Amino acid sequence: MNPPLVLSMTTPVGPASEIPYHDIGPRRRKPAVVLVGGIHGNELNGIFALARLAGFLKWVAAGKQPGRKLIRSVRIIPCVNVLGLHTRQRTWPFDKTDINRMFPGYARGETTQRIAAAVFELTKPASLRIDIHSSNLEFEELPQVRLYGSTPAERHSAALLGLPAVIECPVNKISQSTLLYAWKKLAGQNMVLQAGSAGNLQRPHADRLYQALLRLLGKLKILSGESPADSETNSESRYFKLRHTVSLVSEKAGLFVPRAELGGWVEKGVLLGEIYDGFDGHVRSRVRAPVAGLLTGRRVQALLYQGDLLARIQATRPIATGADTYLIGQGQ
Amino acid sequence: MLSKSETILSLELPYRDRLVLQRTVFGSARGPKVAVTSGIHGDEIEGLYVCHRLARWLEAHPRALKGRVELYPAVNPFGLMTLQRSVPVFESDLNRNFPGHPQGLVPQRMADAIMRYAAGAELAIDIHASNIFLREIPQVRISRPFARKLIPLAKSMNLDVIWTHGAATVLEATLAHSLNAGKIPCLVVEMGVGMRITPVFTEQLVTGILHVWRRLDVIDRETPLPPLTHQAALADDANVHYLNAETSGLFVAALDRLTAVRKGEILGEIVSPFNHKVLSDVRSPVDGLLFTLREYPLVYEGSLMARIMAFSAKGRRR
Repeated sequence: MNPPLVLSMTTPVGPASEIPYHDIGPRRRKPAVVLVGGIHGNELNGIFALARLAGFLKWVAAGKQPGRKLIRSVRIIPCVNVLGLHTRQRTWPFDKTDINRMFPGYARGETTQRIAAAVFELTKPASLRIDIHSSNLEFEELPQVRLYGSTPAERHSAALLGLPAVIECPVNKISQSTLLYAWKKLAGQNMVLQAGSAGNLQRPHADRLYQALLRLLGKLKILSGESPADSETNSESRYFKLRHTVSLVSEKAGLFVPRAELGGWVEKGVLLGEIYDGFDGHVRSRVRAPVAGLLTGRRVQALLYQGDLLARIQATRPIATGADTYLIGQGQ
Repeated sequence: MLSKSETILSLELPYRDRLVLQRTVFGSARGPKVAVTSGIHGDEIEGLYVCHRLARWLEAHPRALKGRVELYPAVNPFGLMTLQRSVPVFESDLNRNFPGHPQGLVPQRMADAIMRYAAGAELAIDIHASNIFLREIPQVRISRPFARKLIPLAKSMNLDVIWTHGAATVLEATLAHSLNAGKIPCLVVEMGVGMRITPVFTEQLVTGILHVWRRLDVIDRETPLPPLTHQAALADDANVHYLNAETSGLFVAALDRLTAVRKGEILGEIVSPFNHKVLSDVRSPVDGLLFTLREYPLVYEGSLMARIMAFSAKGRRR
């Protein structure tokens, strides 16, 4: 059976471009949860996690998982920017517009406004809405929840995911045209998940997302029965406000080689990486942790410009700098 | 005349070179200061030629200048040098990074440098050239909150349209918004098409800029200037009609210039490249001025093909 479609559009020289989705579980009521991935076509972790989750939930809904039952319906759009996915591009490939700067969209407007409007309409009815991203090609994010002007209910649900960090983020001028911001004007709970970097699949991050979403559905009693994965999931989730975020920015250009692993607690002064001169290869700078905390993001692209983000640490005490406001939204 | 080239930002690049942002300054610190910016999008060239023509006029009229003129022709030099609209590597639209940040990413540092150096200007003109998809009649675009201050200046610019539009949130991160919010009047000019120059539009705009500078006493009031040739029509969100493609295909324009059109007049058609079929007729919904027309033929559903400003109150959209 063909899946339902968020949108189907003609294309100039090919078959119709379709954005399919899954509606899984009892249809009597509106979906309890909506999950959106692939607004950026090259962010594969969320797409993979959602595709696998849809497959599993369909299996459950078909009664093929003894002891498990889908009590309320779940709506999943694994990938919004299908043309971007097929061409390994973050943006809508034709005019390079970022679909996540087009919300709430306009059904009679430009192509990406139409896509945004269709996604927004389809995701409105759910009580809990989650938009899943990776960072960009340069930066790797520890799987984390991002909340924007959060409510107590959102903080509670975010903790149920069991991801290592729940981070409060600023609502800046750019983020006001994102799906998350459009959702925030509706009743219900809304959040963004970030995991890994764009451009390829990082299986451990994608698996962690998958398990976190299963865990959430279980804790919210949308999915009954225990998953073998539940007991394996690290449920220790720490909540960080913006002022606990330290973004480490480089004042030197060159080639960067990271030395620290993502997700570990680092002490102040620990070596995070080295900046090499691109021409003669000498070490221009050793990058050390300015504070102790959880390493939630690190640079994975070697080519380094002045002002580039090297690492992000969630500190245990308030310590933020001004640049954080500008940098934390990167990749979303 | 003595003009001087100045570096306003120099950033390290990974392999020895530096990313350098430059401006050219005419005149001294005395008298009113004006600025012209262009090339904020690396695929828009029209403004670079306007800067050249203005520099040429200033060199040819050494005694006319009473104030200070600052030209920033290549605000996004990395994008211009590599034919990319955004800032290369960062894939970030520079005109969504204002007011910038001195310790931020490269695009934010560039934005911050422009903001700091343009401070104190009596008027800034930010020249854009649409994109590769659309051709625009020479026009000024003004965000409504700043309309009262800017429209009188815009009327002297010798352009065809002054379009006052609602304040979109994303536009708050533009250079023009940041300058206007900081009490530096900034007019956004749109004209021509991406990756091209349109010399007839250039001369039209240069004449307008010189007249505005004369009005602001940047150049001597006695200086003879070419006469103004255009009077702008006033467009707003109510009288501008958007024609978006109903279907995908190949858009073929029926007109070769931006001009007055009648209600029902064919502006173009969307055809199939695979067969003889005309998929959609594109007709003007009103009597009005065709001020935007699609240049790039391939269209998706929703692609903008034209914008028309209705002439009469009857053509106002509800």
